[in-house]
Amino acid sequence: MARYQAGDFVAATALIARVSPQLHRFLAAQAECRADADDLLQETWLRIHRARHTYRTGEPLLPWFYAIARRVRVDHYRRASRIWAREARLQNVAEVAISAETSARADELDELLAPLSQGQREILEMLKVAGMSLEDVARATSSSVGSVKQKVHRAYRKLRQMRNAARLTKGQREALP
Amino acid sequence: MTDDEIDKVLADAARAPHELPEPLLARIAESIKPSLQPVHPLPSTFRLASGLILICAVVALAGAALTGFHGVEALAPVARFLIFATLLVLAYLAAEALVDEMIPGSRRRLSAVILVAVASTALLVVFALLFRDYRVDHFVHAGVACLFFGVLFAVPTGLLSWLLLRRGVATQRVSAGIAGGALAGLAGVTLLELHCANFQALHVLLWHTAVVPVSAAGGALVGWLLRRYSLAQA
Repeated sequence: MARYQAGDFVAATALIARVSPQLHRFLAAQAECRADADDLLQETWLRIHRARHTYRTGEPLLPWFYAIARRVRVDHYRRASRIWAREARLQNVAEVAISAETSARADELDELLAPLSQGQREILEMLKVAGMSLEDVARATSSSVGSVKQKVHRAYRKLRQMRNAARLTKGQREALP
Repeated sequence: MTDDEIDKVLADAARAPHELPEPLLARIAESIKPSLQPVHPLPSTFRLASGLILICAVVALAGAALTGFHGVEALAPVARFLIFATLLVLAYLAAEALVDEMIPGSRRRLSAVILVAVASTALLVVFALLFRDYRVDHFVHAGVACLFFGVLFAVPTGLLSWLLLRRGVATQRVSAGIAGGALAGLAGVTLLELHCANFQALHVLLWHTAVVPVSAAGGALVGWLLRRYSLAQA
């Protein structure tokens, strides 16, 4: 990062190759299709580039990246909401450029996290999928560690309740003659 | 479903490869190449916060120099110490919160809304302890004048603070506006304590303290307008 701030293009390229997959996965969770996620990633990197002087050596790097990516995602959602309110939504065809295994796991994750609110979902993604610490997630989401812990606890409780209720309903349906 | 089963799905998702096509990465790298100049990282939070405190002090002292130091001259030494020490501590907390808001991924010591609540409560407690004159002469007339005066001097403090932190990037503009407004409001209260010699308890409790939440609300409005503007531009 320090070499990127010093204007080293090779370091910038290496950083882009290293961090982009994680950021893309985070952005893809709300994107309409793969192309949408690619655009969001590009937008995120433009903002990271414009804000690169705000990173200070010694501070954790991932929360800094995720704080900017999160801002891009929120702005995208707000813009999209405005557009959807005015225009009829066009059918998007997802571009299949990922492996079948990755896609299946992503589907399973999407299905699991679907009942959660946006805030709970992004915290679980950062904590469990991106492997960030509670402190890092708190920094990335501009909140306290206590607030992050509370959101994780509520998310797990909601997931348990939803999944158990779904199993119960399925079991009852199967028990019917 | 147990927590372990949930963890397993999340862990599987974390292990799944998420590779990106080379042309996309190359396109991103090429898009930043033309403007890849060396940049100086921002100074430490302590230095930036100290700069903000200095701005508050200069604006408050300049305002009092223009209008007179009637308030501080009439205060007892203990009251002077208690009021200005409290204002200094609160201004430092507000300055730190503002710097944190302007740097992505910073540790949030105090959220902007809690900052306003803490600052207002602390001022109310200190003023309630020090001022015991419960008369209400010219309550509204004198009070509105003080509120206006305090907020008026909060505006240049806010502008100068923005100038100092112009290289920062606010990821939450409304929160940054609240923190900036609270800091500017504290400069306004400092000016009132230096200038205003009306020591009636209700006057100080209501109209002097109100400068902080009113300035914070103004900051929130500016942040909200900036957010709307940037979304419209995009």
